[in-house]
Amino acid sequence: MAKKSRQSSFLRNLTVYGALAVATLFSVWPVTIMVEEGFDIDLSPIFSGKGMTTVAGFLPYYSGGIHPTIIHYLDALSFNSFFRLMGNTLTIAAISITIALITGVVVAYALARVPIKGKSLISYMLLALRAVSPFVVVVPLYIVFTRAGLWDTYGGVAIAEELLILSVVVWMIRGFFSDIPNEIYDAASISGASEWQIFRHVAFRMVIPGIVVTALFAFVLIWNEFVISDILTGPVAKTVAVGVWTGLGENTQTFKVIRFDDLNAAGTLAWIPAIAVMLLIRKYLAKGFSLGTASKDA
Amino acid sequence: MNKVYRNSGSLVGWYLLLLPLLVVLAVVEFYPLLSGINLSLTDANGSFSTANYAQMLSDPAFYTAIEVSLGYSIGSTIVCLIIGLTLTFLVTLKVRGRTVFEALFIFPLAVSPILAGVLWSPSSIWDDFFGFTHYILHLPFIDELSPVFFFPVMIVSEAWLWSPLIMLVALSVINSQAKQISEAAELHGASDWKRFVMISLPTVLRSPVMQFIIVLRLIDSLRAFEIPLAWSNWVGFQSFIGSPVDTLSLFLYKLIFVPLYHFPIGLVSAVGVALLAVTLFVALGLIRLLDRIGVR
Repeated sequence: MAKKSRQSSFLRNLTVYGALAVATLFSVWPVTIMVEEGFDIDLSPIFSGKGMTTVAGFLPYYSGGIHPTIIHYLDALSFNSFFRLMGNTLTIAAISITIALITGVVVAYALARVPIKGKSLISYMLLALRAVSPFVVVVPLYIVFTRAGLWDTYGGVAIAEELLILSVVVWMIRGFFSDIPNEIYDAASISGASEWQIFRHVAFRMVIPGIVVTALFAFVLIWNEFVISDILTGPVAKTVAVGVWTGLGENTQTFKVIRFDDLNAAGTLAWIPAIAVMLLIRKYLAKGFSLGTASKDA
Repeated sequence: MNKVYRNSGSLVGWYLLLLPLLVVLAVVEFYPLLSGINLSLTDANGSFSTANYAQMLSDPAFYTAIEVSLGYSIGSTIVCLIIGLTLTFLVTLKVRGRTVFEALFIFPLAVSPILAGVLWSPSSIWDDFFGFTHYILHLPFIDELSPVFFFPVMIVSEAWLWSPLIMLVALSVINSQAKQISEAAELHGASDWKRFVMISLPTVLRSPVMQFIIVLRLIDSLRAFEIPLAWSNWVGFQSFIGSPVDTLSLFLYKLIFVPLYHFPIGLVSAVGVALLAVTLFVALGLIRLLDRIGVR
């Protein structure tokens, strides 16, 4: 690289950090507001410049008042039984992800490696599953579930959540199987292993990390999912995302009063586990989305 | 696929292994879809009729919903792409602490869509922002209830939510495919911006993965629901259909849950089928893409 003078490098860094700061503000600001309003801190007097006055003519004094309180977080956890919602969501996610993995991993492998017929049909069906709006499916499901007594049960919602995660799970794991170098498959095949043995003893073990990443991503999807769980759950099996929206407002006769402090406190509590998982898997997530193409045509 | 298959006689077992998936698909996809199509073609007496479709097609609210959905979908995908690629460019610059910034840029991805509708609401971020623009910059207050303001905000909040995904995918493409060329160009003295625009950007946009993600975004935002639902509360359109926040999904939701409309299940199913047709039409593009990638 051509050697640059110290001054131009300083200017470059200044511009770069300036741009990074603006981008960070854009990404993080709404979340910051959420956390801060959960503590009932109102910064608007500062931003409008109206909160600052002076005492005795020269001492700057902030008259807006900042009185942080954790009462809204406590409310969310006690009155609005946030822990129970979290437990509900975890149970639903566990059932749903288990079903998706049991049915999906083998299919993902078959789509990636085994020369069976009808692969494209399965791909089409998974794609249609992704393209279908939840509403198209949830209304008939709602009718069936209420008749069958599955409405507002963990099992019912967990099955319906397959709508959301099944295609993602199969696609991502399929990509992880494709990422395994062909040499390994060929070596196993030449050693006399059957396709099933290759799957069971070689490929499956190699994609276990990928399966974990996929499962965690599916967990975040279910954790944040609103439509399916809103319609298919009631007071018993309500999930976090639904609780954040519906549990914290009061329906009066004509309109809904939304209590923003509680909403933001609950939102923060709902966001923390999701961001923790996302930060954990972000390096592998892009690889999962590469559908097994990233490493091949390099 | 140039692989050695010694035991290809034993493939029958694999068909059996596909069965559990097909059962799940039957429960959550085929049955509800067929049932929905059936309901949409049935009138109140249980006999065959196309009255539901006629009613749907004569309802101006339906056309508004289609326009809103298309505008929302295309707008938010384009904005999402622009934001995501901007973030990518910033993160690929060589400065200290870029992994920290990368982690900060991920933040929106963990926000649930319904919460994004709350966070971008007038009473959350715009409260402070308008205080700043009005009292410090002396700009006039902006009417939050006008579609000219809230529709772009809805689009930006949808884009905000998914821009980290674009960034992650773009980064993985750049790292696996454009890094070496980019480094070679750096040796020749090309600037960061030039290298990004002339090497990384074409690679990213041409990569099947990115095109796949873009089409997925188009499909997903075509049926967007949560952010429009939240905004229908902020701007007072909770119970009116045909408003500028009504995407097709929200239109359906209101038909179902607003008591005024008495849950017209045939009409709801007809709109559902129409929504399905629109999304599948977009999905056809995705299938052709998948063919090109060779994923299938």
